[in-house]
Amino acid sequence: MIWKTAWKNVWRNKVRSLVVIISVTIGIFGGIFAVAVMNGAIEQRVDAALNDEIAHIHINDPAFRDNYDIQLSIPNPEQVLSILRETTGVNAVTARTIITGMANTATKSAGVQIMGIDPETEKEVLRLNETTIPGTGDFFETASRHNLAYIGHELAKDLNIIRYRIDQEGLDSLAAKEVSAEVLEKLSPFTGVRFKSEKSFKKEVKRVLTLKEQHTYGGLIREEAWSFRARSKMTLTFLDKNQVQTGAVFRIAGIFDIKNSMFEMSQVMVKNEDLRVLTGMAPNEYHQLIIRLETLESTEEVTASLAEKLPGLEVMNWKEIQPDLAMMTDMVQKFYAIFMVIILAALAFGIVNTMLMVVLERTKELGMLTAIGMNKKRVFNMIMLESVFLSLVGGVTGMIISQLVIGVTAKKGINFASYAEGFEAMGYPAHIYPVISTSFFITVTVLIIITGILSSIYPALKALKLDPAEALRTE
Amino acid sequence: MKVLEIKNVHKIYNSSEVKVHAVNDISLDFEKGEFAAIVGPSGSGKTTLLNMIGGLDTPTDGEILVDNTNLAELKSSKLIDFRMRNIGFVFQSYNLIPVLTAKENVEFIMSLQKWDKKERDQRTFELLKAVGLEDRVNSRPSKLSGGQQQRVAVARALASKPKFVLADEPTANLDSKSTETLLDIMEELNREEGITFIFSTHDARVVKKARRVITVEDGKVISDERKN
Repeated sequence: MIWKTAWKNVWRNKVRSLVVIISVTIGIFGGIFAVAVMNGAIEQRVDAALNDEIAHIHINDPAFRDNYDIQLSIPNPEQVLSILRETTGVNAVTARTIITGMANTATKSAGVQIMGIDPETEKEVLRLNETTIPGTGDFFETASRHNLAYIGHELAKDLNIIRYRIDQEGLDSLAAKEVSAEVLEKLSPFTGVRFKSEKSFKKEVKRVLTLKEQHTYGGLIREEAWSFRARSKMTLTFLDKNQVQTGAVFRIAGIFDIKNSMFEMSQVMVKNEDLRVLTGMAPNEYHQLIIRLETLESTEEVTASLAEKLPGLEVMNWKEIQPDLAMMTDMVQKFYAIFMVIILAALAFGIVNTMLMVVLERTKELGMLTAIGMNKKRVFNMIMLESVFLSLVGGVTGMIISQLVIGVTAKKGINFASYAEGFEAMGYPAHIYPVISTSFFITVTVLIIITGILSSIYPALKALKLDPAEALRTE
Repeated sequence: MKVLEIKNVHKIYNSSEVKVHAVNDISLDFEKGEFAAIVGPSGSGKTTLLNMIGGLDTPTDGEILVDNTNLAELKSSKLIDFRMRNIGFVFQSYNLIPVLTAKENVEFIMSLQKWDKKERDQRTFELLKAVGLEDRVNSRPSKLSGGQQQRVAVARALASKPKFVLADEPTANLDSKSTETLLDIMEELNREEGITFIFSTHDARVVKKARRVITVEDGKVISDERKN
């Protein structure tokens, strides 16, 4: 009967209860949705890091990572590869030669890390090849008598390998994408003009478009103006094994786009055999072995096992290679819980206020209930239940709305195109697919119940202090 | 059989400057089945006396024994439980729980006492029938007239089969017809169930129905008359 009475009491003053319920709903929805967006971004970041950038485990000479010295190759690589293939949990391995050098075009140059790779085994370990921008190449698939290089989108832009050009076809395409006639009119003077860099193109576009137009259409215009000339080339220069400056011209075998500016700027993939010829490295000489595991969960176990089997080498897993990722994946759940606690703490003040009003308004009734035999424990429980019901109705509604909105946005994603540069500079995609776990909903439900209980304590204690005879005299 | 003994009870309120002797050495006994009215002008101490009898207030001196249990010796939680099982209350302004139906209001105390549902339903129906509201079981207080609400309050007071019912000015807010009906119902329940009713009242109609009239003035009993 106390449960029933408490539930009915919640709806006694519908407007007041609805105000509290709506504020809890908005708070919970806001909190969960924000967490889902953050979580989605982090999961996408971790997924990209593990699948496109670093895989699960790296093995190299213990001093190699200090300055990427070309001399510090892995001794007896065939024996090491054989051990790796026999190790339980290892799914695939690829071997790399790694040197640092400069990438140059006629107008620009940039410091890069040059990775000598075997494209076939590389595809078994990472899926970088799947991120090739259509029309830019095929990740070494097509045989060529030239040296080939597979580079990042940001580096291609920086080296002016990518140009920007608006032609009539581009303007028609923009019109089809509902870009306003006014904007198209402003862009028409640029028809046929070829901009050598993204920077100069942006500068011109900014000059003619308003801020709002830039914000709304900037991404679309850049995408349409983007142009790549097949068989573009660049020169890579570096020191060979004898510390002699050397270099060669490389044709572009593809441009990858993983929405991580730093990685795209710094990594250049070339074929192992091409790099060996240029550096004078032996046919089976490698600097680093990259491992893909069968399951992410076995990371620690396989790392420990390999470290034991390969005592003279450095075995590092992804958590050690990118501790920021490890911290995010390990800490993120706690952070989300703290985030929700802060939101709920703010909501709790509203609930306390409402429950205090309830106690004040129902002084006479509470006096009557005590008079006819409702003891302190039951009075406390009734107030507490009312508070918990208030919180739960708002909380559950907030969670249902969150689930619906997350369900919709998870399919299409949320495009933060206007902030793409900032996101990608930090390695995060600008198109985020919110995601949330069932366990988080359970945590939030528990937190809401706790909030309801804690919010009821002070008002309930006030109710317990009422003297029944005195309370019955109030009007 | 005595259901209530009041022995030399005093109640003194100490404010900062004045000492008010609200109840001054009152001794009374009530037998099972009495239908008694405590009358007196405003401020005579009758409500204070009723509150002390109901365990809602404590005497400064003296003893109140309900069925041989001294209320002063019971701790707060025990006193509430004792009150629930032994004393029924009817208040001037009905004091029903507005969100519950007539049936739920009546069965509230029984559910606190964890009565079996079947037994509870039966008792609730009997009581609502006795007060003539068997057709309004699912009505909320806001849908009932003042007289009907007070009848629900009487049914609620009787729900846990108390030793006696304390009714503080039960007819003060009712019209003549409702007062008449209510008093008839209470009198019938008093005769049928043998429950003691003690009223605090100004109402001449209650005094007329009462078989014992206790007059209080300045905190003292000045007369205690029994009618035949």
